Order: sequence, then C-alpha cells, then structure tokens
Amino acid sequence: MFMSVEFALTLAVMIFSLGALGVMLRRDPLVMFICIEMMFNAANFALVAISQYLGLIEGQALVFIVIAVAAAEVAVGLAIIIAIFRNEKHVDVDAISQLRG
Amino acid sequence: MGLVDLLFGILSAAAFGAAFGVVFTRNTIYSALFFVSHLLCLGVLYALMQAPLLGVIQVMVYAGAVMVLFIFAIMILDISDFEDDEIGERPKALVAATALVLTFTGMFFAYTKGLTIKTALAEPAHGLQPLDTDNVVRVARVLFRDHVITFELIGILLLVAVVCVMVMAKRRLEN
Repeated sequence: MFMSVEFALTLAVMIFSLGALGVMLRRDPLVMFICIEMMFNAANFALVAISQYLGLIEGQALVFIVIAVAAAEVAVGLAIIIAIFRNEKHVDVDAISQLRG
Repeated sequence: MGLVDLLFGILSAAAFGAAFGVVFTRNTIYSALFFVSHLLCLGVLYALMQAPLLGVIQVMVYAGAVMVLFIFAIMILDISDFEDDEIGERPKALVAATALVLTFTGMFFAYTKGLTIKTALAEPAHGLQPLDTDNVVRVARVLFRDHVITFELIGILLLVAVVCVMVMAKRRLEN
C-alpha cells in the first residue's frame, strides 16, 4: 500500500515543496541552505523511486553524482556564508546585496 | 500490508515530519538536528527501495560529513543574533509560497492522473528481495565503466571546490 510509486513521488513532491517554502519563509541563511539541501534530497528520492520502478540502475548512479555535487556546493556555500558573517555581524539575507571580499 | 510496507509508511511520515520541523522551528540548531533525522529516515527508505548502497552513502556523506559541516558553521557563527526569525511576519512570501506548493502538488496530480501508474514498487517484476546484494556491483558498473568520464569530472569538481574554499579562507586571514 505504501510502497507504491505514487506514494513515493507524492512524498518527494511534498518534501520539495516544504524545502521551497523554507527558502522563501526563513531569513536565516543557514536554514535557507538546509532547505535547499532538502530540495536536493527530494529530487534524489524521486530518482531512486523511479529507477526502482523502471528497473534501471542508472538512476542510482545519477543520485550518487548529485550527492557529490551537493557536497561540493555545501563546501563553497558555507565558506561564502561564513565569510559574509565574519565581515558584518548581524546578517539578514535581504540586506546582502553584493558579494565583495 | 506487510511489515516492510508498514515500515515504509512510518518512515515516510517521520521524514515528512522532520522536514516540517526543519522549516517551522525557530532555533537554527534544532533545524539542523531535524534535518539529520530527515536524512536518516531517507537513508533507510533508500535501503527499503533496494538501493542499499545509496542508503549507506546517504548516512555517511549527508548525515555524516555534510551535517558536521553545517553544525560547525552554526557553532562558529553566533546564532543568538538571529533567533527572532518570525515566520508569519512576511504575508506576501507566505502567500507566494503557498501558491507555489499548491501549483506543484496540482501539477503532480494532473501528471500522474494522465499517466495512471498503478504498479507498486514491490510488484513481481522487480519484487522485494531481502536485500539486493547485486546492487553495488551494478552501480559500480554504471559509474566506472559506462560513465567513467563523469566520475572523473566529479573528482575535478570536488578538487576545484576545495581549492576555492581554501583561497577564500586565506584571503580572509590576510585581511
């Protein structure tokens, strides 16, 4: 009953929507970043479900690649966030309008 | 409804609840911890969907390495400054976000209704075996033989990312 493609894809869509909601509602850049990761995860989950449904292993290899790219993105993104926070103490993402070193 | 099926449903509910917690908790560190539990639930769901390799990678890379980075960043920054994150403070954003969620869900249901996927994940064709021990071999075959250039490119990407982060950190020290 639960292990169906519709259920898995619905869960993926709901998690993706929650992530998008978080990016739009929260103002703390770290939480926004976590929500972006959540959207990545929803896409991965949908990929695994579809790859399982179609019996194609390529989907799982693609998820592997996405995880690696997401890890690189986290490293760079967190470095940028920490650099911005070091320069000015109180940071609201609406107030960050330029990326100068 | 088998035991595995029930476990799948419970873990899905837990994953969704944790995702909800990430968005609607005020404290940043609680958000990060909710996200860790969300990732663990997804890892077990991968294993249940006969992708045990991805489940392990999810737990080790995401719940391990990436979340350690996040918690490190949260700890290194002073989070007490922005705990006053009011969620209902921005009605326009709330309306836009709700509209987006409804659009996504509506698009999804329209799509699946046209498609009429009715087969379960665990149907006979690719039935639910105890654990697909062949999974690692099959993924490795795709990654290291069919798409080996992609794999190498990912190595280069990670190297570039690490060098980039080091350059940023160094410039900050010189200042």
